[in-house]
Amino acid sequence: MKNIYTLSLLTFREALSKKIFLFFFSVSTFVIVVFALLFVFISPESFGNGFISSTPTSFDNSIANGIKIFIVFPLYAGGLFISIFSVSSFIPSLLEKGNIDLILSKPVSRDQVILGKFFGGIAMVFVNIFYAIFFLWLLIGLKFSVWDPYFLLSTFTITLAFTSLYAVIILLGIITRSSMLPMVVSYLTFFIFSPILSSRDTLLTFVNNEFISGIFSILYYLVPQTSDLSTLNTDLAVGNYVSSIIPVFTSLAYIILIISSSIFIFRKKDY
Amino acid sequence: MNAIEVDQLTKIYQGGRSKVEVTALDNFSLSVSKGEIFGLLGPNGAGKTTLIKTLLGIVFPTTGSATILGSDISNYKIKNRIGFLPENHRFPNYLTAEQTLKYFSQLGGNTTKNIDKRIDELLLLVRMSKWKKMKVSKYSKGMMQRLGLAQAMMNNPELIFLDEPTDGVDPIGRKEIRDILIDLKNNGTTIFLNSHLLSEVELISDRVAIMNSGKLLRVGSVEELTTSKEAYIIETTNSIDNDFVNAKYANADTSLENITVNLESSTKLSVNVKDNIELNIVIDSLRKNGINIKSISIQKNSLEELFVSLITDERGGTK
Repeated sequence: MKNIYTLSLLTFREALSKKIFLFFFSVSTFVIVVFALLFVFISPESFGNGFISSTPTSFDNSIANGIKIFIVFPLYAGGLFISIFSVSSFIPSLLEKGNIDLILSKPVSRDQVILGKFFGGIAMVFVNIFYAIFFLWLLIGLKFSVWDPYFLLSTFTITLAFTSLYAVIILLGIITRSSMLPMVVSYLTFFIFSPILSSRDTLLTFVNNEFISGIFSILYYLVPQTSDLSTLNTDLAVGNYVSSIIPVFTSLAYIILIISSSIFIFRKKDY
Repeated sequence: MNAIEVDQLTKIYQGGRSKVEVTALDNFSLSVSKGEIFGLLGPNGAGKTTLIKTLLGIVFPTTGSATILGSDISNYKIKNRIGFLPENHRFPNYLTAEQTLKYFSQLGGNTTKNIDKRIDELLLLVRMSKWKKMKVSKYSKGMMQRLGLAQAMMNNPELIFLDEPTDGVDPIGRKEIRDILIDLKNNGTTIFLNSHLLSEVELISDRVAIMNSGKLLRVGSVEELTTSKEAYIIETTNSIDNDFVNAKYANADTSLENITVNLESSTKLSVNVKDNIELNIVIDSLRKNGINIKSISIQKNSLEELFVSLITDERGGTK
């Protein structure tokens, strides 16, 4: 555990030094400041009657929910976009000749090296996402007196979605030692493959072919389910009924599988 | 128990797209005693770095086995008793010297509260105290080597692997590094030194191995390797000329056919013989021709001469 902690800490420090953390933090701060200014300067009347009330009414709730959607969806997409960019160089820089030799010459197992990088990256993203979500939650609460704890759960759904993509970045990073390929694959997954596969039931109504239907179903479980997590994230944030938390479990299983595969491959490689 | 035991180690790198296999280690066997400075010599691509990486679990052997400090090389926990300075090492460039040493010390299993004290001691030893707070991205090659050496010594290891430790270091720095290594040896640390700088290895190593193409060619003390038991230098009081040497020794004389005699100077002959009997035949022959012998000594080759000769023979070419 000590080794994983040390390696995680170094990963965090790497993010700090490469200004990745600072960039992420600045973007989060910018979003918080923009909303703070919006809440301060936009007149309550522009939202309609009942805005100024000291106790939450259904009207306040509906305005607050509208704002939450306005916050959560871009935060999910933007947060993941920046996160993927931030961590894509972690594995290639770890595997650089002269660096990996030194690390592997220490009493550290190869599993610990990968897990250290994994948890370090997650911690870096979690801290930033939590920072943004927490302060936005605080602003909404102060403005509308709506203190919905479920909104804070967005931190976990966004981090979970990031983690499933980060697992793929680690796997591809170990195989290719490149930062570009894992980054491109992650963006394609997030912006194209996952949304398509998530809406496969609708799409397949136009294609009456069992083979294609089977392929889509297989691909759905091979690709991180970031679109389903996005839906879950929005539902949680606005307090909608959450019909299924299966994406959480399938994503966790997916992450475990991909990280285990990464460790398996890393254990066998010469450096 | 030896510090290092290598038994029939073979490492074959599988070619990627080219499908060409490279045998970096070929049934390589070696023992390194505890407390000695062991120098491994070889030309570029001989397999020196692969050997160290295999011993440290960075590269996996194809066949064979090895132990370090009595433990199988697959046991990563043994590495808390080992230090390593890789060739062309890269420290995270966002760390300072102090942070680098602390980080690698913690990875090395050091949980004591004396880390800071040890860092100060080592930075002083490698003359890097002044740059303790400077980021390593601003270091020169020589400074990186010094810091690398400090890193390798951080957890008081029993065995240290050094791959080209003086690469990029100026002559004064090299001397300082040699002195540090001798101090470590005197304190009982085993040092495994990889280098292509023969003169340096010759200066500090107790034993030396020469390898090429993954094979061990020769191993022994510097004295053993550089001393040629069949070659002698005979100094004479009289002058000798080439005609005499050619007339007496170049032509086939049944009793002298295995003997080679060369004129080094007018009063110095180098003689290659099979044994003492042949040496005495040469002496008798000289004395019979009225030449007085002033001294006879065993001829010594420099490590470089031996190295060049062995590698050239191995490659089957000319010098």
